[in-house]
Amino acid sequence: MLELKGISKYYNPGTINEMCLFKGFDLTIEKGEFLSVVGSNGSGKTSMLNIICGSIPAESGQILMGGRDITKEKEFKRNAKIGRVYQNPAMGTCPSMTILENMSLADNKGKLYGLGRGTNKARIDFYREQLSWLGLGLEDKLDVKVGALSGGQRQAMALLMSTMTPIEFLILDEHTAALDPKTADLIMELTDRIVREKKLTTIMVTHNLRYAVEYGDRLIMMHEGTVILDKKGEEKQAVSVEEVLTLFNEISIECGN
Amino acid sequence: MKKKLMAGLLVTAMTAVMAAGCGSGSSESGGEDGYTIGISQFAEHGSLDNCREGFLAGLEAEGIVEGENLTVDYQNAASDMGTTGQISDSFVSSGVDLICAIATPSAQSAYNAAMDTDIPVVYTAVTDTEAAELTDADGMPVGNVTGTSDKLPIEEQLKMMREILPDAKTLGIMYTTSEANSVSAIEEYEALAGDYGFELVTTGISTTADVALAADDLLSKVDCITNLTDNTVVASLPTILEKANEQKVPVFGSEIEQVKIGCLAAEGIDYIALGEQTGKMAAQILKGEKEASEMASEVITEPGFYVNTKVAENLGITIPEALISSAVENFDEITAE
Amino acid sequence: MNFFITILEQGLIYGILALGVYITYKILDFPDLTVDGSFPLGAAVTAALITRGMDPYLTLPIAFLAGVLAGICTGLIHVKGKVRDLLSGIIMMTALWSINLYIAGTSNVPLFSQETIFKNDRIEGLIPKALSPYTTLILIFLLTIVCKVILDLYLKTKSGFLLRAVGDNAVLVTSLAKDQGNVKILGLAIANGLVSLAGCVFAQEERVFEISSGTGAIVIGLASVIIGTSLFRKVTLLKATSAVLIGSVIYKACVAIALRSFEPQAMKLITAVLFLIILLISMERKKKVKADA
Repeated sequence: MLELKGISKYYNPGTINEMCLFKGFDLTIEKGEFLSVVGSNGSGKTSMLNIICGSIPAESGQILMGGRDITKEKEFKRNAKIGRVYQNPAMGTCPSMTILENMSLADNKGKLYGLGRGTNKARIDFYREQLSWLGLGLEDKLDVKVGALSGGQRQAMALLMSTMTPIEFLILDEHTAALDPKTADLIMELTDRIVREKKLTTIMVTHNLRYAVEYGDRLIMMHEGTVILDKKGEEKQAVSVEEVLTLFNEISIECGN
Repeated sequence: MKKKLMAGLLVTAMTAVMAAGCGSGSSESGGEDGYTIGISQFAEHGSLDNCREGFLAGLEAEGIVEGENLTVDYQNAASDMGTTGQISDSFVSSGVDLICAIATPSAQSAYNAAMDTDIPVVYTAVTDTEAAELTDADGMPVGNVTGTSDKLPIEEQLKMMREILPDAKTLGIMYTTSEANSVSAIEEYEALAGDYGFELVTTGISTTADVALAADDLLSKVDCITNLTDNTVVASLPTILEKANEQKVPVFGSEIEQVKIGCLAAEGIDYIALGEQTGKMAAQILKGEKEASEMASEVITEPGFYVNTKVAENLGITIPEALISSAVENFDEITAE
Repeated sequence: MNFFITILEQGLIYGILALGVYITYKILDFPDLTVDGSFPLGAAVTAALITRGMDPYLTLPIAFLAGVLAGICTGLIHVKGKVRDLLSGIIMMTALWSINLYIAGTSNVPLFSQETIFKNDRIEGLIPKALSPYTTLILIFLLTIVCKVILDLYLKTKSGFLLRAVGDNAVLVTSLAKDQGNVKILGLAIANGLVSLAGCVFAQEERVFEISSGTGAIVIGLASVIIGTSLFRKVTLLKATSAVLIGSVIYKACVAIALRSFEPQAMKLITAVLFLIILLISMERKKKVKADA
């Protein structure tokens, strides 16, 4: 379970450009929940993810992960229990290292990065199996540098790598936004399969309303730092794309988008 | 494949150029009655250039003339230690008859490279030959290496300054902390200044950029300034002189060139003369009259007194007639560099 | 023949330095100017220890450790002090100038009368007489190869993977729950350790410590890395570390050519021009590769 309690976030505090994004923002995500987040630009979606992961600090409030207060914990420490996939496929992999090396790196998360061999021969079959599961033929390209792969292939690898070791939370930060529609569909299907199979608590920020409606078991819409729509359970199943779109257009017009 | 080929071609081409360079180097080495020497100079520097000029003049005086019976391979390391090593090694490999090394790093490098060969090394412009481990405490060579030192005649300098400025109490010196020669000269000044009634004030600098600030600081504390043969300080001498003149603080030099450009006076070294002395030593070795290993390292036989009466006039200082008449050279104008 | 030996000796010694620069410049993507100070640092430590009678072979690991410390300092200034990479290096380089003078005692320490790794009774007994003129080259070659192989092996370890990842994509390192700052410090430590080791070997080969020997070391290191990696970019069988070593030898060969063939004043200009030609040739090839694709 992840709880945000009374989070406040200001940008450029103390200057004339001071902008309040969150003021006493609360959100609770249950264990095993797959939450989709939509909202206009500047509504605070990505800032929320950054605050959860510790990439940016919050001025006040508390973040509890499984009941444990992690507000003061550094980003890299929080990441022990969090997997994150970014919008930019290049962020989740190392381009100058091979697929095998990337998989090995990810496989070792949470353990010591010592002077043992970087790649464990005994695990290669496991990596192959995982990669073949993506259905992209990457299992036959173990020695190819990741930099030579397409954006979709890289994003699939990033997804695989971020969920390879046991984690409690998966954070998806508009992870299909930089891909062509067909690849985006594929990545979205893969995401759903991984989340269901590993029963991961997931927060997915997306601009694609269809994904938000089709996938996940809870949907929220954010606007100017507050949640203006929150549907879960059967309510969520009943939500239609048109309904969300209408609401979305209303707030967008208000913003002048 | 094409790329491998190109890389290969490039390497081959470079090897060819190197071989050509190598070939031209070794073909120079002497015939039946000609000598080949390599001159390794550490940096581009007026005094060091004078040494080289004097060295060749000294050889010529002994009948060894460049272009007739002497081939000179002159190389300059542009103050780079790695390059100095490369120069020394290239002289050894092309089998020169003698290496002339100008300045301490070149001397050390040449000695190191020639240590296991029978190529003699003659150095000049090495201030502290013992600290550089080129001679033992008695000034005798540690190997097949000898030469001349440009060690400053510090005692004479102090005596001369006292004579010109009977009332001066504090003496300032600026030096570069990274120049070993300067550091050892400072030690000697510290030991001797008291004997002549001077209180010594020293300022260490790291680069040319520090000179102006250090000069202001030093000038506020001292009655007069003297120079060493410190490369960095000498290069910035005009800056120091200008500031000193504003405050009417006399600046003494350490060699003829410095007096020419506006130092009051110097008991100093004439680097051309030093080079000549070195050239004569080299001639004895080349002719087989002496072994370098049995020749004691020499210092300049007679320091010369140089004075600039124009500077004295500007500062309102009267220099004793006897002293002026003893000058090797008396300048009555200030030559801008 | 000796001409080539000199180039090889010098090239391989500076090759160890280039391996260090390869780590910072190519792997960490960190322009580390500490090198100008850590190279003479190794030489200063060596001179101070050898003149006090220490076994010359022991100076190798100690000089390495001294460089490691210097690298850690640069890393701490950058990571903990949040000072920009270039500035952190400049600060350490400046500080090391004085530190080196303190360690060595003076700016020039000759080692002529001392035993060095190249000249002592043990090594003379070990190397067959026929090979004795090549003792220095053989030792430098072995040392450089050992450094290269250890570095290659290290880059294949888990820790090495992390090091490669931090320069490639620092975000991923954070995602792997590792502090990227610490990984950078580790990389700077190893890099400057190698540079300092090169200084140690250089001081023993030249048998003198000279404070100014570090001036421009970073330029030589960068040139070697760039020459090596761009010339042999497409030679897949050659590891980057080997390419860097060859790059260093080529750089020294350029200097030798410039020395032999031109006026002394022109030397740096010629070196610069040769360097530029190599870069242009390798860029020309890169374009062609793109056109082919």
